[in-house]
Amino acid sequence: MTRHTRILMSVIYWAFIVYLFVPLVLMVVMGFKDSKFIGFPIRGWTTEWYSGVMQDAEVMGVFAYSMAIALASTFLSLVIGTWVACFLGPYKFRGKLIVFAVTCLPAVIPGIISAIALRIFARGIDIEPGMLAIILGHTVHNVPFVALVVMARLSTLPRSHIEAARDLGADAIVAFFRVTLPYLRPALIGAGIFCMLLSFDDFVRAYFLGGYDPTLPVLIFAKLRSGMSPEINAIATVVLVLTAALGLWAERSMRRLNKGAS
Amino acid sequence: MGYSANDRQAVVRLDRITKRFGEVTAIDCLDMEIMAGEFITFLGPSGCGKSTTLRILGGFERPDEGRVVVGGQDVTRLPPNKRDVNMVFQDYALFPHMTVAQNIAFGLELKGRTRGEIDKRIGELVDFLHLSALRERTPDQLSGGQRQRVALARALAPDPKLLLLDEPLGALDAKLRGQVQVELKDIQKSTGKTFFFVTHDQEEALTMSDRIVVMNAGKVEQDGTPEDLYFRPKSRFVAEFIGETNLIEGTVRGSDNGAIVIDWNGLEVRGAAQQGSVPAAGQSVVASLRLENVLCHAEKPEQPNAVSGRVVHRIFKGSRMALDIRVGEREDAVIKVYMDANEAGRFAQEHLWISWDPQRLSVLHG
Repeated sequence: MTRHTRILMSVIYWAFIVYLFVPLVLMVVMGFKDSKFIGFPIRGWTTEWYSGVMQDAEVMGVFAYSMAIALASTFLSLVIGTWVACFLGPYKFRGKLIVFAVTCLPAVIPGIISAIALRIFARGIDIEPGMLAIILGHTVHNVPFVALVVMARLSTLPRSHIEAARDLGADAIVAFFRVTLPYLRPALIGAGIFCMLLSFDDFVRAYFLGGYDPTLPVLIFAKLRSGMSPEINAIATVVLVLTAALGLWAERSMRRLNKGAS
Repeated sequence: MGYSANDRQAVVRLDRITKRFGEVTAIDCLDMEIMAGEFITFLGPSGCGKSTTLRILGGFERPDEGRVVVGGQDVTRLPPNKRDVNMVFQDYALFPHMTVAQNIAFGLELKGRTRGEIDKRIGELVDFLHLSALRERTPDQLSGGQRQRVALARALAPDPKLLLLDEPLGALDAKLRGQVQVELKDIQKSTGKTFFFVTHDQEEALTMSDRIVVMNAGKVEQDGTPEDLYFRPKSRFVAEFIGETNLIEGTVRGSDNGAIVIDWNGLEVRGAAQQGSVPAAGQSVVASLRLENVLCHAEKPEQPNAVSGRVVHRIFKGSRMALDIRVGEREDAVIKVYMDANEAGRFAQEHLWISWDPQRLSVLHG
């Protein structure tokens, strides 16, 4: 690489970093502004938007509702995704590729299309719009990610480990729970956190499948329509900090686990 | 061993086992009894059927025909977890998320032993296999040799009727392997367990086994003690597969005083037939002569099988010297000889005489 291209590359890189972080920094800063309007100049600082959000029963209730949906859909996605991976992984059968493609489809279908389809389907089978419908919608979307991550991990599990368990007296189910599942642990933690973030972050499916109770992204959207205020910045900042912390923790523990387990 | 094979009970019986994979017949009508307390090795090149036999015994493959009987019970259709047979895997297959002690306990827990019994058994095994200091380590904190001992402890823990070992020394370096071979034989002797060992390494088989079964293309080539196989091979395959040997191809002229007289490129040499069946005159045969059974002489000796030859190669191998001696006019009529490196100085000249005891030239079929 010549000197010029090196300089050009680093300029592009830093421009990208600025583009990525300046909006975030602005958002965080505006949350501390002592004024009802978002924008410069900033004349005074306050934490009252944050304390307001923390004491706002509606916001806290919606936060808990979103968390519950994320946890439930993540649990379901992990169970179904692992099952799909274990089913697709070791066996060779006709049409395996087709089954695999169908499994992965929900991950690539545009959110709006799948949201409308799910809404119609949910009504068809008499599922009321609301928590259950959102959980199922998120699960359908997340299963492919779990299946792909688990399949990748599963392909590195030597067949002899399962055979050794069988040899020592385990039937197929005991072998799965005592040998396969612990081996999949790092993959399950990683996929699980990814699912949590996807679900917590989702707007389109939650909007179409939701009932009267909004999820957090839907609530923020509703608040935006009644006018920007630093309260929204405060909510967004809390979410940002929590998700970033979760993501970093997951990354760290995955790396530790991978080092120990393989 | 204080008792002969006749006093023992057959712990395993393979009753006309046949296994096919598509068009390939991996095992062709294998009939065999394995005696209690025996160290039996299945030896052969890859694809000979030795590993398939092991996997059928373990329950990982089901034979297409025939029966497997372990301890009097027909287990042909039983899955691995219902058999009194345990296995040491080629890659050891230790569970990475469990400690050494947990690995050893695995089979005992599934047998429903109490915590007290399990702890006692783990204690015995880690003492016996020198693993006491490693109880709480996980497999990634162990060396290759230590892993191999843990795999052995785990397989021995449930006290199986038969222990299967699938080339468990392949992953160890050459120096360690020799040491582990001796250890493994000692462990087998002191536990009195029946070991079924599978390898492609003839030296390993000779070192450890009470009995060796040489397999080739799904069939048993020969079944006998290491000495039998080495000195009295029944076929050209066995003679070539085990140790180094000289193969002499010739035509039978007749017999003389129990020895078989063979025309070998116009030279008259004497050998001994195996297992009583004497080939008829005029039949072409192959005979095997081990390198260390060839004697060298500076002058023509007053012995049968005295043949003169010319040294074409001298290869120094440290403690020994290998000589290639061409006999007669033909390019390919070469006899390999081993001799003590110190002694080799006596045969510095180009021409010398070789001879051998007729009993040492094993005449094989075809």
